[in-house]
Amino acid sequence: MEKELINLDHIYKSYDGQLILDDLSLVIHENEFVTLLGPSGCGKTTTLRIIGGFETPDKGRVIFDGQDITALAPNKRQLNTVFQKYALFTHMDIADNIAFGLRIKNKSDQYIKDKISYALKLVNLDGYEHRMPDSLSGGQQQRIAIARAIVNEPKVLLLDEPLGALDLKLRQDMQYELIRLKRELGITFIYVTHDQEEALTMSDHIVVMNQGYIQQEGTPEAIYNEPENAFVADFIGDSNIISATMVKDELVRILGTEFPCVDKGFGVEKPVDVVIRPEDVKLVKRGEGKIPGVVSHIIFKGVHYEMEVQAGGFEWLVHSTKESPAGTEVDIDVDPFDIQVMNRPASEDEQALGVVDDV
Amino acid sequence: MNSKTRTFEKIYMGIIFLFMYAPIVTLIVLSFNKSKSRAKWGGFTFQWYLSLVRDSEVLNALANTLIIALIATVVSTIIGTAASVALMGMKRRTRSLVMGVTNIPMINADIVTGISLMLLFKVLHFEAGFVTVLIAHITFDIPYVMLSVLPRMKTISPSVYEAALDLGAKPLFAFRKTILPDLMPSVISGALMAFTMSIDDFIITYFTKGSGFDTLSTKIYSEVKRGIRPEIYALSAIIFVVVLILLLVSNRIKAGAGKRVKKSLSARGERIKNIALAAGVVAFSALIVVMALVYGGVFSKKSTQVFVYNFGEYIDPDVITMFEEETGIEVVYDEFESNEIMYAKIASDGAAYDVMCPSDYMIAKMISQDMLMKLDKSALPNAVEYIGGQYYNSAKAFDPENEYAVPYCWGTVGILYNKKMVQEPVTSWDILWDDRYSGEILMQDSIRDAFMVALMRRGYSMNSTDPGEINSAAEDLIEQAPLVQAYVIDQVRDKMIGNEAALGVIYSGEAIYTKRENPDLEYVVPDEGSNVWIDGWVISRDAVNVDNALAWIDFMCRPEIALKNFEYITYSTPNIAAQELIEDDDIRNSSVAFPDNETLERCDTFISLGEEADRLYNEAWKRVKSAN
Repeated sequence: MEKELINLDHIYKSYDGQLILDDLSLVIHENEFVTLLGPSGCGKTTTLRIIGGFETPDKGRVIFDGQDITALAPNKRQLNTVFQKYALFTHMDIADNIAFGLRIKNKSDQYIKDKISYALKLVNLDGYEHRMPDSLSGGQQQRIAIARAIVNEPKVLLLDEPLGALDLKLRQDMQYELIRLKRELGITFIYVTHDQEEALTMSDHIVVMNQGYIQQEGTPEAIYNEPENAFVADFIGDSNIISATMVKDELVRILGTEFPCVDKGFGVEKPVDVVIRPEDVKLVKRGEGKIPGVVSHIIFKGVHYEMEVQAGGFEWLVHSTKESPAGTEVDIDVDPFDIQVMNRPASEDEQALGVVDDV
Repeated sequence: MNSKTRTFEKIYMGIIFLFMYAPIVTLIVLSFNKSKSRAKWGGFTFQWYLSLVRDSEVLNALANTLIIALIATVVSTIIGTAASVALMGMKRRTRSLVMGVTNIPMINADIVTGISLMLLFKVLHFEAGFVTVLIAHITFDIPYVMLSVLPRMKTISPSVYEAALDLGAKPLFAFRKTILPDLMPSVISGALMAFTMSIDDFIITYFTKGSGFDTLSTKIYSEVKRGIRPEIYALSAIIFVVVLILLLVSNRIKAGAGKRVKKSLSARGERIKNIALAAGVVAFSALIVVMALVYGGVFSKKSTQVFVYNFGEYIDPDVITMFEEETGIEVVYDEFESNEIMYAKIASDGAAYDVMCPSDYMIAKMISQDMLMKLDKSALPNAVEYIGGQYYNSAKAFDPENEYAVPYCWGTVGILYNKKMVQEPVTSWDILWDDRYSGEILMQDSIRDAFMVALMRRGYSMNSTDPGEINSAAEDLIEQAPLVQAYVIDQVRDKMIGNEAALGVIYSGEAIYTKRENPDLEYVVPDEGSNVWIDGWVISRDAVNVDNALAWIDFMCRPEIALKNFEYITYSTPNIAAQELIEDDDIRNSSVAFPDNETLERCDTFISLGEEADRLYNEAWKRVKSAN
């Protein structure tokens, strides 16, 4: 693991008496692509703005490279931000936009010129020096915003939903672009988004947030495959989240039918939630599976078929490459390692807190 | 049907434009009229523009107006812009509260703003003048700047500013480089709006200006008494053109800012052009200011002053300059429209002016209320030597011991008639009741003058306090009303010159002037007698610069000075030596300018009648006016 670069130490922040961040602690390492993921209002942007210096925490410290920068003004921090709405200087041309930070640092003209052409090459916008910002498309503007930030050679690049305003195709292209940039620059990216697909595609490390708390941190695979609570499971990808009972270690009763699983330590006859990804639900011939059901809807999605299956009084979401027309009688089966068992929170507060025993 | 509506639309638009611009066109045309009269086209001339440039008083007022407008614009633009920026950082609730509060001066009636500012300055012991007017203008300009800047500010994303901070800019530099350029078009148009409002303002300025300080609007207003001078037409025409240009520039900048979103590439050039244009306008104004400063000598402060308060256009401006040059005393010269306005001013602040020139009955009123100072005759050798004894005698009617007033101008009231329209000899006020001249008669629109005519016609005293006499005079005036074309003051002169009426009640001084313009006009003092009036110099009891005021009065009594004034204002001078100096025989021997003793014996002077009689007259006058 790389060296620790940013440490958010017990941060509290509230606006108008409403608590936005409640005792948030987070460590970010050098050369990581970290994504803060969560629905709007979860506190992810506030966290980013605290790192950028645009907000001051009510309590807690921000440690950057071993130094306390909690009270340092944004213009004195060794990091740069790419804003959601690009925030280009509309009255300056592209070259002047990119040179803005360098001119403040009194770099030589030659240095600035080289940097501009380097940065424009990096974002594939060679030759755009003398265009005005609002003559560019959204994607191009966003790339200029990135170029403007990276010429300052920050240790960390903060990106606040930078692709939010772009359309789907452009967004996907830009995702690859960002991954490439991150590799070429070898610096830390802290990325804020509410788009779970974006997060899964680009990140080394994902921090899922809700209501001011960190719900779960980990690699994209860990977050996707082993969500620690219903919120994460629901937020990351489509899921079948079903109330169930843990009969004993490695055996769970789902909709009245017992399924073998790999989870242990939940106790005996304990109410739990289980998460089963739609692609993990297997549709087999009647009599060959565990719960009988009927396909009620089917849509072709390109890569796979998406089906809804009524079985055991629950509407299962199923992804499969094999087509089962509506009305087909099927059985449902799930492999033991595809069943993710989670503690059921006693209250909403507990759910928000993410109080789940480590599995 | 369609084309019909279109024609109708065109006619409708045409009428609107006609009503909006006909007055302004008239004004501009008149500013090139050689004749002083509104009624007569005397040929094309630039002379009013030329004499405007030489008129130091008007230029002084212009300089004041522009200096006030420029400083107020700059200050209010800075404050208004800063406030708009600060407002965006506030919570929504606080913001709307603050905006409501700052908008009050704009929504508030000017008169309320003006009076409350005046009261505040009084309470704070600010001396009314340049500074108070400036503060007032800044106060009412700020909302206009905010009105222009705030909507723009709302469209600017704060992340642009944050981006600059993020790139290492210090807060002020970031603001200057990011938000300000985007804000600039609205800041400039806000500034232009503030500038226009400031130039335009009359009411608030009037209440906060104090004495001896005038902007153009208050200066022009004070000249109403004798009708507006053609120089003022010229000035108004210039102001109209300048304001029009400012508005066009302001609109262009706004339109340019709107277009910018669509056409970004050309926008930069466009904006630079606009800013250059605005800069040009400002530079032009600055140039005018500098010129006016040079001519007007605004900053040439002298240690000694005298505050003079006189009727509008009741002195040759050169005389003021001559007095200043000879004595080294700075003259702070203000004009009033009527005796009543002068009275209100002195009654509220006796030290506002040192020396005033009210009319007879008003002098009596001020003496009775102990508002005047007895004059030191030893300091007035010219007044003693050159003012005719008969005038001092007449003045005894209102100043029994000749202690308070030195006669300045005098004259009679009579009938001016057009010889071509009235064939018979005019000898009596009766002719004003002759229905053969229905619609051809002009009466004075002032209580005492109108009643004087009716009272004298009946053989009563013009100073009658008898309710029965006043009532019968009122009945006569009501009976006369259908014959009267109009009740007017200074328009008698123009209408008579323009042959628009056959008979008019007029002051003798005006008669001399009108006869010059239209030789068909004849002036007569009717046999029943009339009003002989005297305006005289008096010194306020609370005057600060008494010696200078005495020097002023004595200077006015010098024969050659009195002559200069007579030639300028054409009202008869009581200065015997000056009368003898008049070169033109016709005028020197004119029975209009200098009626014989036989005529004067028929005439009487107005005296102050007291509150009870004033009330009777006022009520009767209301009845007369409502009978029209």
